[in-house]
Amino acid sequence: MGNISLTLNGTPVSAPQGMTILEVARENGIDIPTMCYLKDLAPVGACRLCVVEVEGSRTLVGSCHTPVTPGMVIQTHSPKVLEVRRVLIELMMASHPDTCIVCEAANCCELRLRATDLEVGMPRFRTRMHYFPVEDENPSIIRDMSKCILCRRCVAACDNIEGKKMFSLAYRGFETKVIYDLDKPIGSNETCRDCKTCITLCPTGALRLPMKFGQEKKGPVLYVKG
Amino acid sequence: MPQEKVVLRNCGAIDPADIKTHRAREGFKALEKARGMTPEEVISEIKTSGLRGRGGAGFPCGIKWEGARNSPGDEKYVIGNADEGEVGTFKDRYIIQNDPFSLVEGLAIAGYAVGARQGYIYLRWEYSYLLDLLRGAIDQARAAGYLDGFRIEVRQGAGAYVCGEESALMESVEGKRGEARYRPPFPTVAGLFQKPTTINNVETLMNVAPIVLKGGAWYAGMGTERSRGTKVFSVSGDVARPGVYEMVLGSPLRELVEGLAGAKDIKMIQIGGATGRIIPYDQIDAPLAFESYLGAGAITVYNRSRGVLEIVGRTMEFLAEESCGKCTPCRQGTEWLVETLDRFRRGEGAARDIGYMQVLADTMALSSLCGLGQAACSGLVDTLKYFRDDYDRGISGK
Repeated sequence: MGNISLTLNGTPVSAPQGMTILEVARENGIDIPTMCYLKDLAPVGACRLCVVEVEGSRTLVGSCHTPVTPGMVIQTHSPKVLEVRRVLIELMMASHPDTCIVCEAANCCELRLRATDLEVGMPRFRTRMHYFPVEDENPSIIRDMSKCILCRRCVAACDNIEGKKMFSLAYRGFETKVIYDLDKPIGSNETCRDCKTCITLCPTGALRLPMKFGQEKKGPVLYVKG
Repeated sequence: MPQEKVVLRNCGAIDPADIKTHRAREGFKALEKARGMTPEEVISEIKTSGLRGRGGAGFPCGIKWEGARNSPGDEKYVIGNADEGEVGTFKDRYIIQNDPFSLVEGLAIAGYAVGARQGYIYLRWEYSYLLDLLRGAIDQARAAGYLDGFRIEVRQGAGAYVCGEESALMESVEGKRGEARYRPPFPTVAGLFQKPTTINNVETLMNVAPIVLKGGAWYAGMGTERSRGTKVFSVSGDVARPGVYEMVLGSPLRELVEGLAGAKDIKMIQIGGATGRIIPYDQIDAPLAFESYLGAGAITVYNRSRGVLEIVGRTMEFLAEESCGKCTPCRQGTEWLVETLDRFRRGEGAARDIGYMQVLADTMALSSLCGLGQAACSGLVDTLKYFRDDYDRGISGK
């Protein structure tokens, strides 16, 4: 497979065939925000945050799963793309609880980071919230599904990295939920052990380590604009 | 322009449970003729005909078949999409009920042209009562020797609208959760079980036998430049004579709605079901063609007693319920729209939400993973344009 040429944000670049737009962009120092994407795993294409403008395409295309083609003309940060990404972040936050102030993930929350990066202002789209009881019986993991934004990283990681397939998806539409077993809380005697893979990958505070009081918070203090 | 029966040629004229009555009307002659041609010749004939997909997207059928034919691989599949879930369509049910043999024949010709040894018919759960009839048609065709080297299996859906979308349909046939896949790769390259696959609507497959028998040029002689042949319409709503009508493409909408179906006092017409367009009465002279609006051919007529917000709100409730929940814009966006339209229906809407609805509609159309999310707001956007007063009346304090 030889190299192909394409235009990325007005600059001609060359890339090996079969690479995705996202990979090519990152190789050229362009940061496209992602949420469901995990390097080295098969793309999911669910969050849509990585969409870019490709000349000749009716819609925006997901850069994490679209391979580059010869002569492709790509805009990764056009005003149209940025506005769509802003709305997508707002939609992810639409049903996300406003508990950042007491959330353990607050300082290293990717949702908050992306919202800050994209200068998402006052939320325009608020919906009802999900109220799921916090699952805190297991000594290795705490799950708060109210905070889940359905990026499916935990599903992919448990399946592909740990080979355990603990999580799957159930229900549909707004009621879609990442479930454990046949949608029961993770109890204390479950197969789930302390591999921490999904906890490390969760972009929000939905999955976390059981916290003891007085424990130090992780990550640098986030600079919040505005 | 009266009705022109190509797809519905045998409906009412044959016994759907008896292959002999079908054979008496040139049944399976097209399959025999196709097998005497090369697959490339069959595809070329379909391309000449200008037949486009009848499921709503209108993709040229011949190009689809050629794509799957030319994709590398020994194992290929053809699928007949009988998951007729679009709100207000019932044409495929009528077709299967009255002429299941022509569907089997069309799928067998598709299989021959593409090079598939296995075909599937994906039947929606709500049509379970057609299962015996359809299986009976397949068995009779097999017993008569028409399906040598080609196996047809009927798979049933489980009641999800989104499984009519081709990639979710394939996931469902594979036994997985019915969720849309990203494209590329397109089904013609990596479809069912990651093998080259064509998916055609029931009605598209019904057109195949006549095209093979009478030639693509005959078919291309009907219709408009970009919409060849005939189309079956399901007309319902505030009409005197609801039902299934087949017309040459390009016929005026007025002829169908007012002439054949006998609608009076029309306020607006929804064309293409829940994800379709809504047009006001003053556009009733639009032609029924891919150039204007068509979708899967669902025509729902509303008279002046109907409220715009109620129709758009209920449509959105349906789409929110049926969204697979995979991609953010569709899952979250439909929910916000349901809640917002509900506020407008109660007269508690906020003026700025009208602008937000437009912003959200653009985002959903641009970034959703499949056609459901991309087209979910078409009716909303149309009514915001043509019936803005109805929305303004829903604003709190007005």
